[in-house]
Amino acid sequence: MADVKVKKESDPADVAAIETRSKIKELCQQFPHGITDQVIQNDMPHLEAQQRAMVLNKLLSLGHLDLLKNSSGLLYRMKDAQSASKMKGSDNQEKLVYQIIEDAGNKGIWTRDIRFKCNLPLTEVNKILKNLESKKLIKAVKSVAASKKKVYMLYNVQPDRSVTGGAWYSDQDFESEFVEVLNQQCFKFLQSKAEVARDSKQSPMIQRNSSFATSHEVWKYICELGISKVDLSMEDIETILSTLIYDGKVEMTIIAAKEGTVGSVDGQMKLYRGVNPVIQPTGLVKTPCGLCPVFDECHEGGEISPSRCIYMTEWLNF
Amino acid sequence: MHRGRSSAHWKQRAEVRQVTMTAQEARLCGLLLREHFGEVVERVGTHLLRSGAQNLRTVANESGTPLDLVKKSLCVLMKHGACSFRAGRKGPGSPVEYRASCERILLILRYPRYIYTAKTLYGDTGELVVEELLQRGHMTMSSIVKTVADRLTHNMEEGRRVEYSEVVSTFSKLVETHFLQRCPPVSEAVPAASTAPMIPGSGPASSGPAASAPPTAESFPDCYTVPHVSLVGWGKRRRSGEDAAEEQGVSKKAKTDEQTHGDEGVYWQVNFERFHLHFRDQTIISAVASKLDQTSSEIVRTMLRMSEVTTPPSASCTQALSANEIFRSLPANYSISRPILDQYLTLLVDDPMEFVGKSGDSGGGMYVVNLHRALTNLARATLESVVQERFGSRSARIFRLLLRKHHLEQKQVEDFAMIPAKEAKDMLYTLLSENLVHLQEIPKTPDHAPSRTFYLYTVNQLATARMLLQHCYKTVANLIDRRLFETKESKRLLEKSQRIEAIMASLQASGAEPEQLTEVEEMITAPEKQQLESLRHHINKLDSAENQVDETVFLLKAYVNSTAKATQ
Repeated sequence: MADVKVKKESDPADVAAIETRSKIKELCQQFPHGITDQVIQNDMPHLEAQQRAMVLNKLLSLGHLDLLKNSSGLLYRMKDAQSASKMKGSDNQEKLVYQIIEDAGNKGIWTRDIRFKCNLPLTEVNKILKNLESKKLIKAVKSVAASKKKVYMLYNVQPDRSVTGGAWYSDQDFESEFVEVLNQQCFKFLQSKAEVARDSKQSPMIQRNSSFATSHEVWKYICELGISKVDLSMEDIETILSTLIYDGKVEMTIIAAKEGTVGSVDGQMKLYRGVNPVIQPTGLVKTPCGLCPVFDECHEGGEISPSRCIYMTEWLNF
Repeated sequence: MHRGRSSAHWKQRAEVRQVTMTAQEARLCGLLLREHFGEVVERVGTHLLRSGAQNLRTVANESGTPLDLVKKSLCVLMKHGACSFRAGRKGPGSPVEYRASCERILLILRYPRYIYTAKTLYGDTGELVVEELLQRGHMTMSSIVKTVADRLTHNMEEGRRVEYSEVVSTFSKLVETHFLQRCPPVSEAVPAASTAPMIPGSGPASSGPAASAPPTAESFPDCYTVPHVSLVGWGKRRRSGEDAAEEQGVSKKAKTDEQTHGDEGVYWQVNFERFHLHFRDQTIISAVASKLDQTSSEIVRTMLRMSEVTTPPSASCTQALSANEIFRSLPANYSISRPILDQYLTLLVDDPMEFVGKSGDSGGGMYVVNLHRALTNLARATLESVVQERFGSRSARIFRLLLRKHHLEQKQVEDFAMIPAKEAKDMLYTLLSENLVHLQEIPKTPDHAPSRTFYLYTVNQLATARMLLQHCYKTVANLIDRRLFETKESKRLLEKSQRIEAIMASLQASGAEPEQLTEVEEMITAPEKQQLESLRHHINKLDSAENQVDETVFLLKAYVNSTAKATQ
C-alpha cells in the first residue's frame, strides 16, 4: 500500500516527507525496543515539530509504527512486518478489534469486554471476530474457570495458566489421572529416599536429614522421568507434594537457605520426606458396620438388622 | 440455610450427650448386662439407667419385677460397682435411692483386655487374680488367693501344686502397681442429701452434687496397703465325681477358718483407672514405634515408666524429666550413647505428632510426654482412618485438608486437594451428610442470601470423635446381637454336641471300648460338624471384632475425657 502511495506522490514537500518517513523507519529498526520523540529530534534537528507529528501520524495510520507509552513518555516502535502484513486488507474496525485483543495478551478477552472497548454493535463485533478467526489471526480459548466463557487472544499466544488451568488441564478437563500418577511418583521417590536413609545405619539425626528431599530434587526427578508431556514448573510439583501432605504420607519442613542455592525461593527451601502412618486402620473400620452404607438405618427387628445383615454374612464367611 | 442450622443443632446434641446417656449406650449396656448377669439384672439395670435414681419400691413397680429379684439384682450390680445408692432426695427418712452407672457397665466390654494385660504383666497368676475379681466384683484377699491357687493347681500336672505365698506375692505386686485397690468402705451414715441445696427444676442428671457423690477409692489412705494375712498352704486340686462331696467340705471348712486370716471386711476391686493409664501409655508407645522407630518408642516407654508414679492421672503432660535421668533409666540392653539419645530426643520433639515436648534446658534438657496432645493427634489419626477406609483416600485427603486448614470454601478445597470440581463436590456433600464435615455460613448481608454468603467447610474434631464413639457403641451392640442370633440359630445343634461330649466324657471315664466311642462320635454327622466348625469360626470372628472396636472406643473416650479436663 505504502509503495503505491509513494509512487503517486510527486510534490516536493511530499518527497521530503517520504524521506523523513524512511529515515524514521530506519531509526526504528536500529532501536528495536522503540524510540522516543527526543531521539527523532536529535537525529533530525532540522525537522519542525509540526512536520514530525504529521509524518508520525501518517506512519501510525499506515500501521508501520506502534505507539507505546512507558514511564518516560511516548515510544515509537516498528511494527513487525508479519503482523502488518497479516492485517493487510483489513478495515479499521478489524484493526481496532485486533488491537484490543492484542492488548489483552495471554489472558484473553471476553466478547462483552471487546464490545465495551470498541463501542461497536454486537453483531458487528461477532462478524469481525469470525473474520479474524478464519484468517487465523486470533483464536478462541475456553476458560477453565467458566466452561461457557470464551476468551479471544492472538493466534500465536500461549494462553495464561489462569485460563487453561496450568499443567493440570487438557482442554477444559482436569487431568486427575495425571495428577494421581505424579502424586504416586513423587511419593515413590520420597519413600525410596527415606528407605535408603533408614538402611544407611547412621546416627538418627543424619538418617532423618538424608531422608529429606528438596522440592527441586523432586522436580528434577519427575522431569528426568519424562512422564509428563507438558513442562512442569517447580510450583506445580510443590502443589503435587502438598496433596501428598494432605494424604498424610509426607511431611514438609521449611529451612532457610543461602540466596542462590539451587531450589531455594526467597531464601527458603522446602524439604519433604515420606513418613510412616502413625496408626493402623482403627478397629471400628475392620468390622462391616464401620463401613456400612446403611448404618443409620440398621435396627434390631427392622428391615435392616444385624441378624439379617448381608454384609455381616459375607464378612463372616470370608 | 438448613444445613447450617442442623450442624448447630447437632453440636447442641453433642453437648447434651456428655451428661446423659445415649440410646446406643443404653442398648449396649442392656446387652452386656444380659450376657454377664442374665435377663433379670438386665431388666432392672436398664430400667435404672433409663429412669435415673429411684428407690427400691419404684424400681420393683416400674420394671415389673418381684421385690426379692430386684434386691438380688441390685446386690449384683452393687457388687460390681455398677450401681450406687444414697439417701433419698426428699429429706431425712425418705427411702434410699439407687442409681446405675452407664460408664461402669460399658467397661464390661473391656474385661478381656484387662485380663490379657494382667497376663502379659504378671503371668498366669496375675491373669487369674484379675479374672476372678472381674467376675465377682469384689473379694477379700484371702479368698482370691485361695481360689486362684486352687485353679492353678487344678490345671497343673499331678503332683505339683501352687503355694499360697506365690499368689500372695503376685497379688501384692498388682496392688503395689495400683492395678488393684481396696473398695472404699461403705459409710453407715450416708450424708443426707438435704444438706446440699436442691436446684429446683433440675433434672435427675444434675441432682448429684459433689457432697453426696460416692467417695472414690483413692480418697482413703489405706487404698493400696496390703493387709497382713496369715495364709499358709497350697492350692487344692478339684476332683470330679466322688471328690465333689469332699471338696464341699473343704470349702465349708475354708469359710469357717476365714476368721483366722485377719483381712475380713477388706475388699479389693480392680482399679480400672490404672489399667486405662496403662492402655493409654501402650497406645502412645506403639504409635511412636510405627511413626518413628523402635528405639524412639523405647525412649518414650522409659519416660512414661519413670513418670508413672509422679504424674497425676489427669495431667496433660508428664513430669519433666532431664535427659540425664532418662539416659540412666534406659533399659540396660539398649546400648545407645548419650549423644545419640539427645539426637533421638530432638527428633521426637521435632516430630509433628508432638508426642514429646521440651520444657527447659536444665540437666541436659528437660523433656515431657505430651499426653493430651498425643491423644488428640491419635484421635485425629483415628478419624482420618475411618474416613479413609469408608470413603476412600481422596475423601480422606479432603478431610485432612480441612483438619489442617480449618475453614475452606469449596473452590479452595478443589484446588488444594487437586480433585476435579465434580468429584470434590460429591465427596464434600457425602462427608457433610454423614456429619463428618460441617458447613459454616458467613453472610455478607443480613438477609442470608445464598449468593452473598460464604460457605466454609470445616471439621470439628471433638464433635466428630463423639459421634464416632456412638457409632462404635452401636457397632459393638450390632456384633453382640449378631453373635446371639448365630448362637440361637444353631441352638439345637449346639445342645446336641454338648450332650454328645458329655456322653463321651462319661464313657471315657468308665473305660468304654474304642468302638463304642467312635459310635457315639459319629452321632454328629459330617455336615453338622462342618456347621459347628463354621459357627465357631463366626463366633471367634465376632468376638475379636468386639475387642478391636473396643480399642477404638478406648482411644476416642480417652481423647474426649482428656479434652474435657483440658478445657475445664
